[in-house]
Amino acid sequence: MALLRSNASTAPLLKNRVPLVRVQRPLVGALAVGVFLAAWQIIGSNEIIRSDLISYPSEIVATLGEMVGSGELGANLAVTLIEFIEGFVPACILGVAAGLAFALCRRLRYLVAPLFAALYSAPMIAFVPIIVVWFGVGRDSKVAMVFLAAVIPIIINTTTGVNEVSEAWIRAVRAFGAGRRQVIVKAILPGALPAVMAGIRLGVGRAIVSLVAAEMYVSILGIGRLIQVYSNGGRAAAIFVLVGIVSTFGLVCVNALRVLEHRLAPWRGGR
Amino acid sequence: MSHLVVDGLRLVYDQSAGREDFLALDNVDFEIGEGEFVTIVGPSGCGKSTLLMLIAALLRPSAGTIRLNGKEVGSPGWDRALVFQDFALLPWRTVLKNVELGLELKGLPGDARREIARRHLAMVGLRAFEQHYPHQLSGGMRQRVGIARALSVEPEILLMDEPFGALDAQIRQVMGSELLRIWERDRKTILFVTHDIDEAIYLADRVIVMSASPGRVVREISVALDRPRRLEIRNRPQFSAYREEIWNLLEEQIRNSGSWEETNGAASFER
Repeated sequence: MALLRSNASTAPLLKNRVPLVRVQRPLVGALAVGVFLAAWQIIGSNEIIRSDLISYPSEIVATLGEMVGSGELGANLAVTLIEFIEGFVPACILGVAAGLAFALCRRLRYLVAPLFAALYSAPMIAFVPIIVVWFGVGRDSKVAMVFLAAVIPIIINTTTGVNEVSEAWIRAVRAFGAGRRQVIVKAILPGALPAVMAGIRLGVGRAIVSLVAAEMYVSILGIGRLIQVYSNGGRAAAIFVLVGIVSTFGLVCVNALRVLEHRLAPWRGGR
Repeated sequence: MSHLVVDGLRLVYDQSAGREDFLALDNVDFEIGEGEFVTIVGPSGCGKSTLLMLIAALLRPSAGTIRLNGKEVGSPGWDRALVFQDFALLPWRTVLKNVELGLELKGLPGDARREIARRHLAMVGLRAFEQHYPHQLSGGMRQRVGIARALSVEPEILLMDEPFGALDAQIRQVMGSELLRIWERDRKTILFVTHDIDEAIYLADRVIVMSASPGRVVREISVALDRPRRLEIRNRPQFSAYREEIWNLLEEQIRNSGSWEETNGAASFER
C-alpha cells in the first residue's frame, strides 16, 4: 500500500477506480443483463440457434401477453398461490411452536432431532407419490407438500435460535420477577426472532420448489401443471414465462421477509 | 433494625455425577443498614457474585436465611434490583424500552412506564438517547441504562454485580463518581460487588472482605472518609491505610487458598 501511495502515477488511477465500482455497481449489473438480453434476442430471432429450443425475449413477452389475456395464467397462478398460502402459514405457526417446544424440552429434542435432521436433507419431491396416496390428487396433497417442505427448516432454525438466546437476557428478565411465560415472551421469542426469520426464508425457497414439482407430477391446475403441459408441447417461450413468474414470486417473498425482519429486529444490523 | 440480614448462608453446587460437590459459600453472615453503601471485595471465585444471585433469589441457598425488612426472600421481586457486569440489556429494545422492562413486568400502564423511565434516564444523563439501541451506545452508556433500569422499579436495595468490571479504567472511575452522585440524592441501600480494592473503598460506607473458596466473611471495615467524595480522595494517607489493610487480608487469602500458583491469583488483583 505504502508503495502504491508513494507512486504519484498510480494514485489518480486508483481514485478513479474506487467510485466507479461503488456508485455504478447497479448500473454495471443492469448493463450486463441488457447485453445478455440483446444477444439472446439476436441469436433467437435470427434462428442462429433454433428458437423453439431457446426462444427469445420479444417472443417471451408476447407469450406472457397471450397467457395473461386468455386468463390461463391468472387462473393457474391463483391456484398455486392459494396452495402456497394454505400450506405455508400453518407451517410458520406450527413450525415455530414445535421448534420452541423442542428447544425448551430437552428430552423431546433428543427424541426428534435425528428425524428432523434426516428429513431436512431428504428431497421432498420423493415424498410426492406417498403424499398423493394420503391426500389424493387434489389440492390437499400440494398444500401438504408446501407444509412439509417449509416446516422442517422453520422447526430446526427456531430450535437453534431459542437455544442460542443469551443467558444474560433470560437472567435480566427473571431478575425483574418474570415467570416462565413472561421469560418466553419477553426474552426467548424476541431473542430467537432473527433465527426464526432465517428459517422462514429458507422455508419459502424449499416450499416453492416442492410445490411446483408436485404440480408437475400430479395436478390439473397450477403453474407447475402449466410447465408440464408446455414442456410436452415444446413451447420454450411459455416455459420461460412460467419459470420467470415462479422466481419473481420467490424473490418478492424473500425480500418482503427481509424488510419485515429489519422492522422486527433492527438490532441485528449492528450487533 | 437492619435492612438486609444474611444469616448462616451456605451454598453447595451440586455437581453432576462423578464430580465432587463444590462449596461456594460457607456460613456467610452480615447485615446492612437502611441507606448504607456496602461493597464486597474478595478473590476471584470467592462466590461474591453467587451471593448477589442468592439475595436476588435467582439461586436458592443450601442453608441459611436472607431477610429484607424482616421478611425472608423467596423469589425474585421488585424490592431488589440487579445491575449486571455484562449489562444484560435486551438488544431488540430501545434504551427507553429497556428501562421500561421492570415496570412492564410490574404491570404498569404504558404512559406511567414511559414517564418513570424517562425520569430515570434523565438521572443518568441519557434522556437524549432514549430511541437508540444498546449496540449504538458505548459500554459506559450501556451500564448507565442498566442502572436506570434497576432504579426505575424503585427497589429497597440495589444489587450491583461488578457493574463496572467490563469498562476500561478511566470510564470505570467516572462511573464510580456518577454512581455516588446518584446515590447521594436518595441514599438507596446498595450492595456492590467488586474485585477492585480502590473502587470498594472509594464507594463504600463499609467494605466486606471475603475469603477465597469457600467464601466467608473475613472482616468488615468501616470507611470513615468524608462525603461527598472526590476522585482525589484516593491519594489521601487514610485511603492508603484502608488499601493496605484490605490488600494484606486478600493476599493472605490467596496464599492460603493454595490455588495461586496455578491461577496466578495475585495478578488478577488491581491495587
